[in-house]
Amino acid sequence: MLDKLKEPFQQEKFKINTETTDEKGGSQPQTTKRAQDWKGTLKRIWDYLSESKARLFLVLLMVFFSSLFALLGPFIVGMSIDNFIVTEETTGLKWVLLSLALIYVLHSLSVWLQHYWMIQVAQQTVYKMRTNLFDHLHTLPIPFFDKRKHGDLMSRLTNDIENVSNTLNSSVIQIFASILTLIGTLSVMFYLSPLLTLITLTIVPVMVYGMKWITKRTGVLFKAQQKNLGELNGYIQETMSGQRIIKTFSQEDKVIQEFGERNIELKKVGFWAQTISGFIPKLMNMLNNFSFAIIAGVGGVLAINGVITIGVIVIFAEYARQFTRPLNDLANQFNTLLSAIAGAERVFTIMDEDNELIDEREKIELNNVKGEVVFEDVSFSYENDEETISGISFQADVGEMVAFVGPTGAGKTTIISLLSRFYDPTDGVISIDGVDTSSVKRESLRRQMAFVLQDSFLFQGTIRENIRYGRLNATDEEIVEAAKSANAHSFIEQMPDAYDTEIDAEGGGISQGQKQLLSIARALLVDPSILILDEATSSIDTITELKIQEALQRLMKGRTSFVIAHRLNTIQRADQILVLEEGQIIEKGSHDQLLGENGFYSDLYYSQLKSEVG
Amino acid sequence: MKRLFSFLGPYRVAVYVALFLTIVELTVELLQPLLMSKIIDDGIMQNDLSVVMLWGGVMVGFSLIAFAAGVINSFYAALASQYTGFDLRTKLFEKVQSFAFSNFSQFPTSSLMTRMTNDVNQIQNTIFMSLRIMLRAPLLVIGSIIMALFVNVQLALILVVTIPFLIAFLVWMVRKAGKMFKAVQARVDIVNNVVQENLTAIRLIKAFIRRKYESNRFTIASDELRVKTVKALRLIEATMPVILLVMNGSIMAVLWFGSVGVNNGGASVGEVVAIVNYVTRMTGALSIFSMIVIMFSRARASADRIADVLDEEVDLKDADDQPNGSRITAGEIQFDRVTFRYPNKEKRVVNGLSFQAKAGDRVAVLGATGAGKTSMFQLIPRLYDLDDGTIWIDGQDIRKMKLSYLRRQIGYVPQEAMLFTGSIHDNLLWGKEDASLDEMIQAVKDAQIYHTIEELPNGFDTRIGQRGVNLSGGQKQRLSIARALIRKPKILLLDDSTSALDVKTEGRLLDALRTYSCTTIMITQKMSTTMNADQILLMENGTISARGTHEELMRSSSLYLKIYESQLGKEEATGAR
Repeated sequence: MLDKLKEPFQQEKFKINTETTDEKGGSQPQTTKRAQDWKGTLKRIWDYLSESKARLFLVLLMVFFSSLFALLGPFIVGMSIDNFIVTEETTGLKWVLLSLALIYVLHSLSVWLQHYWMIQVAQQTVYKMRTNLFDHLHTLPIPFFDKRKHGDLMSRLTNDIENVSNTLNSSVIQIFASILTLIGTLSVMFYLSPLLTLITLTIVPVMVYGMKWITKRTGVLFKAQQKNLGELNGYIQETMSGQRIIKTFSQEDKVIQEFGERNIELKKVGFWAQTISGFIPKLMNMLNNFSFAIIAGVGGVLAINGVITIGVIVIFAEYARQFTRPLNDLANQFNTLLSAIAGAERVFTIMDEDNELIDEREKIELNNVKGEVVFEDVSFSYENDEETISGISFQADVGEMVAFVGPTGAGKTTIISLLSRFYDPTDGVISIDGVDTSSVKRESLRRQMAFVLQDSFLFQGTIRENIRYGRLNATDEEIVEAAKSANAHSFIEQMPDAYDTEIDAEGGGISQGQKQLLSIARALLVDPSILILDEATSSIDTITELKIQEALQRLMKGRTSFVIAHRLNTIQRADQILVLEEGQIIEKGSHDQLLGENGFYSDLYYSQLKSEVG
Repeated sequence: MKRLFSFLGPYRVAVYVALFLTIVELTVELLQPLLMSKIIDDGIMQNDLSVVMLWGGVMVGFSLIAFAAGVINSFYAALASQYTGFDLRTKLFEKVQSFAFSNFSQFPTSSLMTRMTNDVNQIQNTIFMSLRIMLRAPLLVIGSIIMALFVNVQLALILVVTIPFLIAFLVWMVRKAGKMFKAVQARVDIVNNVVQENLTAIRLIKAFIRRKYESNRFTIASDELRVKTVKALRLIEATMPVILLVMNGSIMAVLWFGSVGVNNGGASVGEVVAIVNYVTRMTGALSIFSMIVIMFSRARASADRIADVLDEEVDLKDADDQPNGSRITAGEIQFDRVTFRYPNKEKRVVNGLSFQAKAGDRVAVLGATGAGKTSMFQLIPRLYDLDDGTIWIDGQDIRKMKLSYLRRQIGYVPQEAMLFTGSIHDNLLWGKEDASLDEMIQAVKDAQIYHTIEELPNGFDTRIGQRGVNLSGGQKQRLSIARALIRKPKILLLDDSTSALDVKTEGRLLDALRTYSCTTIMITQKMSTTMNADQILLMENGTISARGTHEELMRSSSLYLKIYESQLGKEEATGAR
């Protein structure tokens, strides 16, 4: 029992370093700079809000009215008691009550309307932020996604934005109302006694100091909380997508334990954030009482000396109460605002990441490409690591088929990623039809290409929708045609709803090979100048592969195509085979030429052949 | 709702202390007007400064007590809410880890994520706020009614009649809004899901330039979330105006009946004023109620969603721990007329399949795309349960073996090499938590990736990005093979795991595997892999259409011959024969 009582005070202290509040992201501290200060963040939230200026004005108006009616009601009640009940006159009372009823209805109406409109404004704002963030994500370069945990990014789009949403729903109205009442009472107080007003205001510095103490901590804590929440979300996401491994390796206990560590971190920060932010109303309450005691004490002295009347003190004491209430509300709202800012900052940090579209505004559109591709001395390394490819040069003429062969990790996929500008080369020039690809808009470049990527991903939705992804305006017939060419038609037909079969999130019931068939069908719908096949058929059995080869041959005709494959017989037809090892081209030529060279390729080829023959 | 409170159970003490402290605060608050009237009536009115100082001092003292109580309350309330949140997340995560694959079709990843973070947050906040303000409202309301009854029974009856209606209204509101917020959370799931898909498939989306298309999809999901949220909030925000209207209506009634009472002597003016005062106070307390209603209806929705996960029945029943039975000693596998369908699917992907793999054998499984190879594989570590038939390992029905024992003896290398964020070292430890450096080096050597790791700037400590982004497909494959080898499994399952390896590397890998005394089943497309197998199974439509060694199948199976030809090209094939 005693232990339980002591528990809350034995929590590990969260170290708050108020000097450096910025999150040390490590990799790119510069980009987070812009979203740093909370004033700037607030300004940006306001920019969103102010898009609904008219509605916001209506809300303000309604807050004004509701405050007015809230004051008017008690006034009329008092009047009716004095004038009608005390005098026992009932005929006039009817009319007073009727007007009172009107005021009450209007009061409720104005309260309802202010929320009605505010909800619209707040949700519109949040919706805007969310879609903007999402749209922005799509303009970010691939390396950004390599570095970030997906679950953390997801948390920004849901949990962080949710924080903003919760605050906007209530805070704006509260702040309006508080400021309004504050101004009102302050002016009455000044009117009654400037001296006492000044004395009452002495608590303001104490309040400011207290609030500073608190918000300095909560500000940091809220940020840490959102960050930890994001990290936890990242961990959940990764373990969910790795369930198969966790289960088969029987590592449930391990992930539960690792999850626990992150969970404890979140709990620790959450505990302090909540505890300290809980101090605010208590502090305000106390100051409130203090101010009353001060007014009574000082007022008493003044009254005895005849400076003010007793009546003024009584009224003043009442107003002083009224004065601290909105201050209290404001303090609370300020705190909620901090938590919203913590969320918003995480959103804006991403929005401040350099945008691919903006930095290519000046770039040219690539149109009607013929398909001549040249690599000139191209090198690439991830994040200053060792170079994954170095000094790659080759030329693919229009309509040629180029194949890449080599051990894993030799840089085959990297070359293709550079060609499609998922990454930019650290050195060298890639040009298409003589145009340096770094000078063109990425999307216009990719529009010239069709891809079958190594990871064959299917979206949730029907099979038809997934194939149509290749060309959005493809007709149903064209889709069936593409599926037939990709040899996917027969298995699709066997599915319960054929082309309308829903693919669920876990992809249950569709095999890896079938996914590849669908990816190929998807690519077949595109009419590109350049075709890229990265291990397009690796999970497909060789008989089916042979059948698809015909369709692919047809597709490749007249188009420049780049093919990565491990089964050498699928690339024998290539006009050029580039053999890569450790990021460099070690052999180049057609199948027959390379066999004649007796190098790496012929070695590889004969070893494959030999092992088949046994 | 009961469920919500049951989560709080372990923190009963903190909850009681927190509630007690709010009562302390409340008492001080209620004493405040009394103290004020003392200061004004006995002090200021009488020009007696000492009384002002005395009661002023008492007041300051009381407010310090209230402040202390409030601050301490903050600690306890935060403890109760954060610990409950922590527990909920842990319970959810543990539950999800115990899920069978069929359960996942019920709860997609994105939805589980929302439930573990967003929904738990809702509950956390509700608990914290409740422990600080919840008691206040009912106490104030009840107190006011009692006081009003003392003042004048007849007039107070107006309140006695109104309040139950209001309570009923609030209860209705919590229920109704709870349902609406559940719909809101479901929309959050959908939004989350679109984001997840987009992040996973970002390369594909960029490659097909579907930025606008995806943006459109997200806008629709996001807009639906907005509409639902607005709808739910608009309903719930009607609480306050309704309370105001009803309470103000009762003020009018008090005034009307009061005036009648004053006329016929049933009430005094003072009584009317007092009761109006109490009604005003109750209105204030009830406005706190409206806040509570909002929080509770959200928390209710979230609690339901959390309960849905916690109550989900796990289809896969683990067997009891048997002292001697569960060890796999030899690794003999036998399928006996096994039939399997994916949950909620009609098609039998494995259909009456039987075969036997002797201990230490190497079995190759060959077959067309969609023939059921991977599905059959997943049944061995019991990722799914069979519909019919039995799988025996060393003569034991796998359903009678403890799952963790069964799976610990199996090295499984899936088709898609899935690696986790962390170092190479961390990833290898997945296979065996206490693996020594020697064991690790042996495993990566056998998996033919030692050379690569050695050349990396940080060796085993090199960090791998999410899903292994900085490794090539083949490197990922070999690492995941090493991860399986490190545990020296009795049964090794390779699901097309060498597809990205060239023949030479693959050959060395297969040779290295000979040193492991385990039964190996490998799905493959490559003839080079099948040739050395002790047994080759040719799968078609969920069942085995032919079996035997390479030589036997070359003679007996036309399909096998066709596959062989497809890989060598016709001339070479005929030549080689």
